Amino acid sequence: MTTVAAKQSKGLKEHEKAQEWWWVAEQTRSKRLDYLRKAVWKKGAIGGVYNPGIKIDLERPILFTEAWKENNQDPQMLRKAKAIAHVLENITIFITDQAQLVGYIGSLPHTIQWYPEGASIVNEEVYNEPGTVPEPEEKSLKIMAEINDYWGGQTAIDKLGRVLNPEDLVKYMSGVIGWGVPTSAYGYAGKDYEYILTGKRGFEDIIEEIDGYMDAAEKKTSGEPGPDILPLYDKILNWEAMQIILEASINFAERYARLARVISENFESDPKRKEELMRISETCEQVPAKPPRNLQESFQFDWFMQTLARFEAYEGAMPCRPDYYHGPYYDKDVNIDKRLTKEEALDLVGEFMIRAHEFGAFIPRLGREGLQGVTGTFVWTMGGVNKDGSDACNDLTVAFMQAARLVRVSNPTFGFRWHPKVKEEVMRECFECIRHGLGYPSMRNDPILVENTVYWYGHPVEEARTWVHQACMSPCPTTKHGFQPIRMASATANCAKMIEYALSDGFDKVVQMQMGPKTGDPRQFKGFEELFQAWVAQMKWMMSLLVRTVNLGRIKDPEFFGRPFLSSISERSVESGIDVVSPEGERGNCWVTFFTWVENADSLAAVKKLVFDEKKYTMDEMITALEAEWEGYEEMRLDFVNNAPKWGNDDDYVDDIMVRCLREVASYSHKIKCPSGNNWPALPENVSGNIHYASLVGALPNGRRLGDALYDGGISPGPGLDKKGPTAVLKSCSKFDHVKDGRAFLLNQRLSPTQLAGEKGYKLWSAYMKTWAELGMDHVQFNMVDDTTLRSAQTDPEKYQELIVRVAGYSAHFVDISRKTQDNIIQRTVVGL
Amino acid sequence: MTTCNECTNFFPLEDDPSTGDCVQRVVDPRQAYYKSKPVDDETDASKCDQFQKK
Repeated sequence: MTTVAAKQSKGLKEHEKAQEWWWVAEQTRSKRLDYLRKAVWKKGAIGGVYNPGIKIDLERPILFTEAWKENNQDPQMLRKAKAIAHVLENITIFITDQAQLVGYIGSLPHTIQWYPEGASIVNEEVYNEPGTVPEPEEKSLKIMAEINDYWGGQTAIDKLGRVLNPEDLVKYMSGVIGWGVPTSAYGYAGKDYEYILTGKRGFEDIIEEIDGYMDAAEKKTSGEPGPDILPLYDKILNWEAMQIILEASINFAERYARLARVISENFESDPKRKEELMRISETCEQVPAKPPRNLQESFQFDWFMQTLARFEAYEGAMPCRPDYYHGPYYDKDVNIDKRLTKEEALDLVGEFMIRAHEFGAFIPRLGREGLQGVTGTFVWTMGGVNKDGSDACNDLTVAFMQAARLVRVSNPTFGFRWHPKVKEEVMRECFECIRHGLGYPSMRNDPILVENTVYWYGHPVEEARTWVHQACMSPCPTTKHGFQPIRMASATANCAKMIEYALSDGFDKVVQMQMGPKTGDPRQFKGFEELFQAWVAQMKWMMSLLVRTVNLGRIKDPEFFGRPFLSSISERSVESGIDVVSPEGERGNCWVTFFTWVENADSLAAVKKLVFDEKKYTMDEMITALEAEWEGYEEMRLDFVNNAPKWGNDDDYVDDIMVRCLREVASYSHKIKCPSGNNWPALPENVSGNIHYASLVGALPNGRRLGDALYDGGISPGPGLDKKGPTAVLKSCSKFDHVKDGRAFLLNQRLSPTQLAGEKGYKLWSAYMKTWAELGMDHVQFNMVDDTTLRSAQTDPEKYQELIVRVAGYSAHFVDISRKTQDNIIQRTVVGL
Repeated sequence: MTTCNECTNFFPLEDDPSTGDCVQRVVDPRQAYYKSKPVDDETDASKCDQFQKK
C-alpha cells in the first residue's frame, strides 16, 4: 500500500486507535503547519549519507574567504567580523510561502552550510562527499579546491595542531578515544539569555553600550601611560568588531524586511498573505535592532540570533529555554491583549520548531555516524523554576508540548525540568508527547540538577536555576558568568577503552598503538584489585589527555577562531571587550562526556566473578579469548554473558563495582581543572556513539565481540540484560549519588504503548515518575513504540517516514538511522510498569 | 549592454537606487519561495536566464 493510500484508508479515530500518531498529526495540524513541515529539506544524513538534493552552500565560503583575504591586516576578531558582515550583506536570502518567521544559514532551502575556516580535515571531506557538490559540479569543485587550497594549514584546527603536544594530538585524533574537535568552529554555544533575551535591549542598545565603553577606553589611552591601559588597545578593536557585526546583523534583518515588502507589494495577490508579509516586514525592522514587542517579534528575535550565531560557527546544539523567555509575550498576546488566538499562537510555536528543524550544516562522517538522522542535538529546555524557586511552567510550556505533537520533528526535542510543584496539566502534556512516540521530553529532576550545578561549579543557586541543556544532558546557567560559549565536551571519552586497555597493558590492537599507560601484563594479575587499579590508571589517563587537549583548544580559540557575534550578545564581553571564547570571566561548567560507560562495570564484574572469585577461568584463558575476539570461544563467551551479573538488576555484586568506578571518577574530576580552575565531572551518555565505536572497540569480558553494538549508553543497562523489571533498574541506578558522583546520568527506558494507553496508562506512568523522583534520579527518557511497529518500519520504511524514536540524548526518525542502531533500539527491554 | 535595472526582478533601494535586490520566485521539489540577492543597477544581465525586460 502506498503512503498516501495508507493514510487515506483510515479516519482520525482509527489512526488514534492504531497509535499511528504521525497520521493523526497530519490530519490535525493547520494547513500552514502542514505545508511548512513538509517543505523542510531533510538535512540529517541517513546511515551517514546525505539525502538526494542536499547541496553544500558555496555562497558563505566564497564571501567569507573573499573578505578574509581582503582584510588580512586586521587582528583576528576584527577580521572575522568584517568577513561575516560581508556574508550577511551579500548572501542570498529567501522567504518560504506561508512562513511567518524567517532566517536560514544557507542561501537556499536545500543547502547545508560549510565553514572552511574550521578544519582542513573537514574541508577535504566536503570536497570528496558524493552527491552534495552543487551544480554545475565541475565549476563548484574548482571553487571548492581553491577555497581548500587557501585554508589548508590555516584553519583553527590546523593552527591548534601545531601547538598541541604531538603525542596527545596523535592519540586525540586517532578516533578511538575521543569525539569532536577542541574549537568553537564545531560544537555549540550557550547564550547569555539573561542579557539578551529578557526584552531589555536590542542590538542598537548594545551598540550604544559599546560606544560608552569605547569612549572611556579611548580617553584612557590618550591619558597617562601605565600598564592598566595596555590591554585597552586590543579591546577597542574587539569592540569595533562587535559593533560591525551588530550593524551587519541589523542590516541582514532589514534585507528580510525589504524582501517581505517587495513580495507583498509586487507579487502576492491574496490579501491575507499580503498582510502577513507586511507583518514580517515590520517584525524584521523591529528586531533584532530593538527589543521585541509581541510573540512573533520575540520568536523572530531569538531565531535571528540563533541563525546569526550559526553564520559564525557550526553550532550543533541549541541550549535554550523558549517557554521561559518567550512565555511573557505569549501571555500578553493570547491572554491579556487577545491579539492572537491560541490556534494562531500555536502556528507560530510550531513554525518556531520547524525553523530550527530546517537547520543544516555539513557534518564530517565521524559526526554523522555518531549523530544519525539529525543535524544536531537541539534539546530545548522546558519547565523548571524561576530564580526564586517558584514554578516557571506557563501557557507557552503547554503550547510547545502541543505543537511538538503536531509538527513531529526529531530536532529540536525537549528536556523537561520536573520539580514537585509542576501542575498535573503540564505533566499530562509531557506524557502525551511521550505516548505519541516522540521520545521526548526527556524528564529531568530539577531539584537534583540545581543542587548538582551548585555542587560541582559553585554557581549561585539563583543562577543555577536558570539552567538549560547545554547539549543533550548537561545543565548550564544562562547568566553573565555562568553560560558556556564553546563545546568543552570535546572531552568525550570512549570509555569502553578503559577496561580494554586495562586488559591489554594500554595497547590498542585496533589502531596498533600504545595508547594508555603500561599498567602491567593482565595475565599476571593475581587478584581483582590489581585489575581495578589498572582500570583506574587507564581512566585517569584518558580523562587527562582529553581535558588537556580541550583546555588548550579553549585558551587558543580567541586567537585561532574567535566569536565576534557571540561576544556582541554576551554581557561579559560587551563589558570587558574580551572575546567571549576566552575563559576570562567564566565560572566554568565543564564535563567529560562518557560514551560506552556501563561496559566497564559489567566487564569488571564478569572478571571478578568468573576469574577471581569462582576461578572458573584463568586470566590467561580469558585474555587469550579476548585477543581472539571470542572467536573459537563461543561457549565461554556465553558463560560471560549469561552467568556474570549485569548492571540494572538490583544486584549489589555488579552495582557496587559501578558505584566504586563512579566514585573513582568523581574523585579525579575534582583534580583535573578547566581554564577557569573549575572541575570536570563525568556525564555518562551516548549519542549514537555505541554504534560508531562498535568496530573500534575490541572484545570485552561482558561477552561483547568486536563489531557488536555497544550498550545504548549513560547508565542504561545493556539491551535485554535488565531482566528484573523497571523497579530493579531504578534501584540499581539510585545506588550512587546523582549530585556528587557525576554531572548527569542518562537512562533509556522502553515502555509498552499498549500498557500505557488511556487514563490508566497515565496513572501508571505517574507512579513510575514518583518513584524515579523519590530515588533521586536526574534523568529518564522513554521510547514508547512497540516492536511490531518498529519491525514493520524496517520492512516498509516508506510507510513509516514520520516514525520517531529516542536514540540517546536525541530523537531521530526511525527510518533515518542505520539498521544496526534500529536493531539496538528494538533489543532494548520493553518494561512493564 | 542589458543591465539589471532594466529587469522586472530588480527592486532598487529607496535611499540608494544604484543598488537593489534581485527578487525571484522559485519552486523546488519541496517548497515555493521568493529569494533575494543584492545587485548593482548597472550589473551586466545579458547572460542572465532570469532576465525579464520591464
